[in-house]
Amino acid sequence: MEIIAGVDIGNASTEVALARAYDGKVEFLSSNIVSTTGIKGTKQNINGLFKSITEALKKAGLTVEDLNKIGINEAAPVIGDVAMETITETIITESTMIGHNPSTPGGVGIGVGETIRIEKLSEIKDNKDYIVVIPPEVSFNLAAKIINFYQSKVNIRGAIVKNDDGVLINNRLDKKIPIVDEVELIDKVPIGMLSAVEVAEVGGTVEVLSNPYGIATVFNLNSDEAKQVVPIARALIGNRSAVVIKTPKGDVKERRIPAGCIEVISFKKKAKINVDEGAEMIMSAINSIDSIEDIKGEPGTNAGGMLEKVRQVMSNLTEQHPKAIKIQDLLAVDTFIPQKVKGGLANEFFLENAVGVAAMVKSDKLQMEMIAKELSTKIGVEVKVGGVEADMAIKGALTTPGTNKPLAILDMGAGSTDASVIDKNGEIKSIHLAGAGDMVTLLIKTELGLEDLELAEDIKRHPLAKVESLFHIRHEDGSVEFFEKPLKPEIFSKVVLLKKGGMIPIEENLSLEKIISVRRTSKEKVFVTNAIRALRKVSPTNNLRDIEFVVMVGGSALDFEIPQLITDALSHYNVVAGRANIRGIEGPRNAVATGLVLSMVEKDE
Amino acid sequence: MAIDEKLLRNIVEEVLKEMNLDNTIDSNKKEFIPEEISNMEIKEIGDVKKGTLPNEVVIGVAPAFGVHQTKTITGIPHYKVLREIIAGIEEEGLNYRIIRVYRSSDVAFVAHDSAKLSGSGIGIGIQSKGTTVIHQKDLFPLSNLELFPQAPLLDLETFREIGRNAAKYAKGESPNPVPVRNDQMARPKYQAIAALLHIKETQYVDGNKKPQELNVEFK
Repeated sequence: MEIIAGVDIGNASTEVALARAYDGKVEFLSSNIVSTTGIKGTKQNINGLFKSITEALKKAGLTVEDLNKIGINEAAPVIGDVAMETITETIITESTMIGHNPSTPGGVGIGVGETIRIEKLSEIKDNKDYIVVIPPEVSFNLAAKIINFYQSKVNIRGAIVKNDDGVLINNRLDKKIPIVDEVELIDKVPIGMLSAVEVAEVGGTVEVLSNPYGIATVFNLNSDEAKQVVPIARALIGNRSAVVIKTPKGDVKERRIPAGCIEVISFKKKAKINVDEGAEMIMSAINSIDSIEDIKGEPGTNAGGMLEKVRQVMSNLTEQHPKAIKIQDLLAVDTFIPQKVKGGLANEFFLENAVGVAAMVKSDKLQMEMIAKELSTKIGVEVKVGGVEADMAIKGALTTPGTNKPLAILDMGAGSTDASVIDKNGEIKSIHLAGAGDMVTLLIKTELGLEDLELAEDIKRHPLAKVESLFHIRHEDGSVEFFEKPLKPEIFSKVVLLKKGGMIPIEENLSLEKIISVRRTSKEKVFVTNAIRALRKVSPTNNLRDIEFVVMVGGSALDFEIPQLITDALSHYNVVAGRANIRGIEGPRNAVATGLVLSMVEKDE
Repeated sequence: MAIDEKLLRNIVEEVLKEMNLDNTIDSNKKEFIPEEISNMEIKEIGDVKKGTLPNEVVIGVAPAFGVHQTKTITGIPHYKVLREIIAGIEEEGLNYRIIRVYRSSDVAFVAHDSAKLSGSGIGIGIQSKGTTVIHQKDLFPLSNLELFPQAPLLDLETFREIGRNAAKYAKGESPNPVPVRNDQMARPKYQAIAALLHIKETQYVDGNKKPQELNVEFK
């Protein structure tokens, strides 16, 4: 009789399965999971590994002395890293537009006129239309009095205000005009220029200024000029309020930032692709090449820097020369980064296009041998590096009740998405692809403009709710939950994360719907894309439809919505996909560790 | 309106003349144009009825506010404090009622009583010295949504934001808490005078008097 431990070191967690083996039978005793210490495949892993083993032993009422053998996964030698590059920027010239969308503009409708500072109203003799510009020194009360007073002599059609006074001024006006407030750099608003101010009803969006022909109508533009205002109109879509000022050369430009090329190299051919062409083009270049040998970025460009950074990190970790590090796969995803607009008058933030990449690097197998050796001397137990990770995962996955060969598994971890297929004869084919949980976290962080990676990680993992009163919350699916005791005042009226330890408020100005939509699309962009990509590669015919059953394992399969998203996406290809339940008790966790134990027992026979 | 027209014209023209003196206003200088209100008149109009409309925030003032004391601890006139809080609420599109709480001078109870009488369940309590609390009716009195304990550090901008945040709570939005400055020296510097002002306020506490609804007119 032997006590055996199977250890799976992953990017994010280290899992252990502990079993007793006798007469070729295996009895599982316990399992455990801890966070991986350091990056997968490096010496730092030993601390976490040791902790995980002792905890598992403790659960089974054993000590290290009882342990006979340890099996470590031949850490599917991949490590991943993520990076991001902005590829567009918006520049407003000559302050031609204000589109910051303040939460409470005043009045409603559209007003067109020449801009004029409020203190100059007394000098007006002509009968033109005017838009008044109100500096912060003028209080709402005074501003309203002045406008009311001059309204009879001068045609005041709208107002642009520095303070958050839009509604206050409007409430005091005899004749209502549209008012856009909270314009931070009010002194930079061009004076004496024709301009249009539009405010929509509560819950509505501007209709005239978000339409190029609308702008052409108010400013009397010809067809050439109308063409030029398209970027302005586009930038204002979805706003409740907006100002457009007609200046001689004013313009809004969306500039593509040259990001450089990525070169995908294989034995037979090369493909070169511009990063600023977007993720779709990059992915089609990558998919067009069968066995990638290396991926390089053009030196001296952002793309080059992005990939070289990944290479550098990996070379530091594995103590290999950067030139020896080969990037084996890359997942590019289109994303948005909220960025401050250059030349904006009101600190406008626009969503700029960006490309996020996850890169995967083959690491050295010796690393695992080294970990095994070090662990062995440390605790005096035989440590073996056994079996390819994917093979082990399949062995473990097959302990799920109701599964049989042929079977495909999708192993979704933090750093990589792996797929393998076992056919009727036990032949296994597998692939490792870049991009998994960490990539989703990065996308959530950038798209929501969060400072804190921890918060993004939490948003990825936990469902949300809105605290509607101190006695009830509304879950993200709309259902209501009541509480007997009042909730804490800190979370009143907040969007909260439903963590196991309690509700954590999100202290950012983000709506529930916005967070949910970013969270979902980020998961789809990474996991659904990768699931299809990976399964296609391992399918015997390169066609997804020839795979019948898919079992999902790995940390990200534990997620509350990723498995559903994938099940749903794969159902379009007539593929049955579901979450594994290793040994009938572990859920999608512990597949590799379990597989390792099983294979060690088999070998001994 | 007709009676005031001439007066108004004079005010405006005067102000405009003043503005024209330095032609363009230098916004770097935080110089405010002479405030056109200079006082307020407070009238009690009877017992406060519990509000039923969800679009209101109740502002509760402590017993001496605006009458027996007229300035905060740093000398900000009470009419300006009240006006800024009201402006904050109004800008968010909500209504307000002002009440005076007599049974306590403790800002927590003033605020909590106001919250309980508010149709939205959100109330603001202000002491004469300036200490302010945003409260919610279901909380315990000594708990709160937002507390601004260091009265010497509150300026008009903060009072505007307090009103705005209270209104946002009433709308069911989740506002970022109003940023408050913190000054280690505020306590030693103002502790004695704060205690004194509080004692003065407490003199006007009347345990038997119900909260009174106020009609406030700014002049």
